[in-house]
Amino acid sequence: MTHSDVHGTPANDPDSRSELDHLFSVTYEELRRLASSVRRSDPRASITPTALVNEAWLKLAGSPDVAHTSPMHFKRIAARAMRQVLIEAARRRQAGKRGADELHVTFDDTVNAAATDADGLLALDDALTRLAAQAPRQAQLVESRFFGGLSVPETAALLDISESTVLREWRLARAWLARELAADA
Amino acid sequence: MSWARLQAAFDAIIDAPEHQRDALVQDASHGDADFERELRELLAADAVKLPLLDRSNAEWASALLADAPRPADERPEFGPYRLLRLLGEGGMGVVYLGERVDVQRMVAVKLLRDAWLSPARRARFTTEQRALAQLDHPNIARLFDAGTLANGTPWFVMEYVEGLPLHRYCEANQCTVTQRLQLFRAVCSAVQHAHDQAIIHRDLKPSNILVTTDGTVKLLDFGIAKQLGQEHRDSERTHTGLRMMTPAYAAPEQVRGERVGVFTDVYALGVVMYELLAERLPLDLSSRTPGQADAMILDIEPEPVSRAARAQGAGSAAALRRSEWNDLDVLCKMAMHKDPARRYRSVDALLRDVDHFRAGEPLDAHPDALSYRVSRFVRRRWREAALVAALVLLSVGAATSYTVRLGRARDAAVREAERRTRLQRFMLALFTGGDEAGPADSLRVVTLVDRGVQEARLLDGDPAGQADLYATLGSVYQKLGRFERADAMMQAALLAHANAGNRDSLTRAALLLNLGDLRIDQAAYLGADSALTQADALVVPRVSARDANAVLLQSRILGTVGRRQEEQGLYDSATVTLQQAVARYPASDPDPLVRASLLGELANVHFYAGRYAESDSLNRLVLAVQVARSGERHPAVAEVYINLGATEFERGRFVEAERWYRKAIDIDSTFYGGAHFRTAAHLAMLGRALVSQERYDEATSVLQRALGIQQATFGSAHPRVASVLNELGNVALKHKAFDSADAYFTRMATVYREANGDAHFTVAVALSNRATVFNEQQQYVRAEGIYRDVVRRFTEAQGAEHMNTGIARIKLGRSLIRQKRWAAGAAESEAGYTIVARQAEPGVSFLQAARKDIAEALLALGRATESATWTKAWESHAAPK
Repeated sequence: MTHSDVHGTPANDPDSRSELDHLFSVTYEELRRLASSVRRSDPRASITPTALVNEAWLKLAGSPDVAHTSPMHFKRIAARAMRQVLIEAARRRQAGKRGADELHVTFDDTVNAAATDADGLLALDDALTRLAAQAPRQAQLVESRFFGGLSVPETAALLDISESTVLREWRLARAWLARELAADA
Repeated sequence: MSWARLQAAFDAIIDAPEHQRDALVQDASHGDADFERELRELLAADAVKLPLLDRSNAEWASALLADAPRPADERPEFGPYRLLRLLGEGGMGVVYLGERVDVQRMVAVKLLRDAWLSPARRARFTTEQRALAQLDHPNIARLFDAGTLANGTPWFVMEYVEGLPLHRYCEANQCTVTQRLQLFRAVCSAVQHAHDQAIIHRDLKPSNILVTTDGTVKLLDFGIAKQLGQEHRDSERTHTGLRMMTPAYAAPEQVRGERVGVFTDVYALGVVMYELLAERLPLDLSSRTPGQADAMILDIEPEPVSRAARAQGAGSAAALRRSEWNDLDVLCKMAMHKDPARRYRSVDALLRDVDHFRAGEPLDAHPDALSYRVSRFVRRRWREAALVAALVLLSVGAATSYTVRLGRARDAAVREAERRTRLQRFMLALFTGGDEAGPADSLRVVTLVDRGVQEARLLDGDPAGQADLYATLGSVYQKLGRFERADAMMQAALLAHANAGNRDSLTRAALLLNLGDLRIDQAAYLGADSALTQADALVVPRVSARDANAVLLQSRILGTVGRRQEEQGLYDSATVTLQQAVARYPASDPDPLVRASLLGELANVHFYAGRYAESDSLNRLVLAVQVARSGERHPAVAEVYINLGATEFERGRFVEAERWYRKAIDIDSTFYGGAHFRTAAHLAMLGRALVSQERYDEATSVLQRALGIQQATFGSAHPRVASVLNELGNVALKHKAFDSADAYFTRMATVYREANGDAHFTVAVALSNRATVFNEQQQYVRAEGIYRDVVRRFTEAQGAEHMNTGIARIKLGRSLIRQKRWAAGAAESEAGYTIVARQAEPGVSFLQAARKDIAEALLALGRATESATWTKAWESHAAPK
């Protein structure tokens, strides 16, 4: 997947398009850099996409590349970049045939021990790309929340829809993806 | 296939009871088999678990991005705390309910998620922790403990508050308007407390305001609080831009991503109050997209709270009268003004109006409609009249003119009082040490003032407020003796005022007045004149126009001119000027304290001129006003005691002086604490009174205590330290411990030189005292050399005709006469005598000393008749002991 097949790009004129590409790659680099620097400094640390995206914004907000970008717009780009970073990690994981059964334990027992499912993630990514063909905004909504870690209010702000619409659309998109994944399996 | 159609059908059916589903699906499909199949599949898929999508991405992403498999984290250790369950998650932190094992107390434990990400992240987390640590208020959840887990995750433990959100509490308890306002008051006082510590909450909303079962309000969640003056520019933008605050309570400046400040919390409090009264939000954002919501927050004026309450059928609607609702409309509107500059300037100001409302007094915020003020005041007065049941009815005409005048006077008084309260609050925050004691006092003062400076810089959008704050800070620096910084602040205030594009000449005049006052402290008298002349020029046209505020200001300018003359030793001119100032002071007397301070200054002039009786009687007047105004235990009362004591001291009544000084110190210690620099200054004076009673040991211990405080507060090179050194030098001199006296005075000179510059007259004072040590040791040549230098210094610093120059020449004369250089000595003494006699009472000690010396010299020169005249003069002024 390259960034060009991500949907929901707001502008089509070449100038802003290339600006967007530039912004995307800057963000992508930053996210990767952040993720690996975290790994280096503390292999046991937990990494959330939400935190990474926020951190990338903190890092980049002052830079000329991003200076003219609103935080909202940045988040949209960052969600796409994050998706890319994660999918690549999943591909690496798949290729390395490393175990997919390691545990990450948070302090909260109720959300404990989620397995890393690289295959599942790649399948989801494919399904999401298919969804984008049918319902671009819904795909973007999933991308923002799932990969970008945006909250419901943030997603609502990003897409300029109400929070209740976010929830409704999320539910249907989720059902759609669940069905696709079930069919894949 | 239309996604919209699918969505509509899905929404309509998904939550319907299972048995209706089939019929609903068929109904929605209109025989479209493809649509029906798709819809059924999707409805069924809704129930399918999809762990990847349903769980937080943190769980899998983290593992995915990490190269090596990681062992499970061990259960975190929290010292004496055990985690019980998750209470909630915020942007950065997770909050658990915990228990302190040893005392079995419930606590809330907050952990920073993903602490490793960056130092900035930790810094933001600790911001909240620090904010809480600074806050000590019954209505703010307290910080108990903080630390770091083995893996570096920072945590802190705070008070666990079990209660209902403010609005739910009111609902559940069917609170009356009075009860609601009482709760609101508590919220305000908590927020004001935070503001006093330069902390802006930024996320005030009912869910952050809990009320416990016993009705105690607790403010929670300083998670996005902002430390004023701390620049987290980037995270700032993230916070505002990413809408971490709750839109319903977000102020327009937050929506626009602009700077937030005290006014942002004022806005949110306005919304909270509106909601408390109307039982609904001022703007209904629920069905809006965020874009629409933003636009509404920016542009839509909420309907008056009274109308909202009526429409909502709120309990308050019928409980209040029309006129009361008018006030509440104004109150809410003023708090939620779209323009931050037009809101209440502080939570305190809001609080004051809430109190005015509760007391049936006119609001400060009310539009200046005369009818309003009159009606409000008349009503209040009538109520009092009814209560006292003693007032005779006034004729309508008289009553109206009375209330109008009273209203105006009150306006002025309120404005002045507001300024004063603000300054006082600020000074209080500066000078009252909290619980933490220790030598950090100087640090605290400087830090706080510097923080104030940064706060002022943040007020770019509000140049008027900025000018105000700069001026206040300037005064604070001035009082701290940091004249250069004070100067910079005053200049900044003038600049900010100019930037405000404000043509309000009176405000500019007031700023110039402050600057003039500072210039006097800097002994830059020409600069003072220039500022004061400019100020006066601005005021004059307004005085001619009978502007009451201008008249007030003019008399204050005159008062300061008087102080300048006094500082230069021009006591006669100063007396005239200050008397004029008092005379011009408006008869309506909007603030008795201003008039009292003019009288106090006049008392000082009398004092310096040696007119102790006049000084004493004026000071007693000032004391009466001050006590009536502030009660007996106020530091301002202590200042008057000090002046009374000083007068007694100069009259040689040391026991009385000691009594006044001790009364003052008693107040100081209660008000400021025993280790405060004000206490120290007064201890130094007490030391002097003890020295004069020859109680040297007591004196030395009191003075050493004062010196210790001063050095801890100001560092060793501060004028205040020098003045204590001066006293210690005097004690040593009396003890005839000449070496240590010389050492004290030498150090005093060094300190003054460092603090005020070599040319400053204080250096001359120190040197002059040093010379006295040599005189006492009969090293007259050495003394003479120093005195000559001192005379030159006084002449240059304060003028040839200054009293200090005169006194120094009398002393120089004495050192010459002791060397039997009779002619030169007599000439010097006479020259000094002429200067001093022009300005001081004939009986002051210097003149007496001069008379004696001159008589002695003339006698030695064989001019017996002249000598006898001097001796006679001396006898006629000798105190009848």
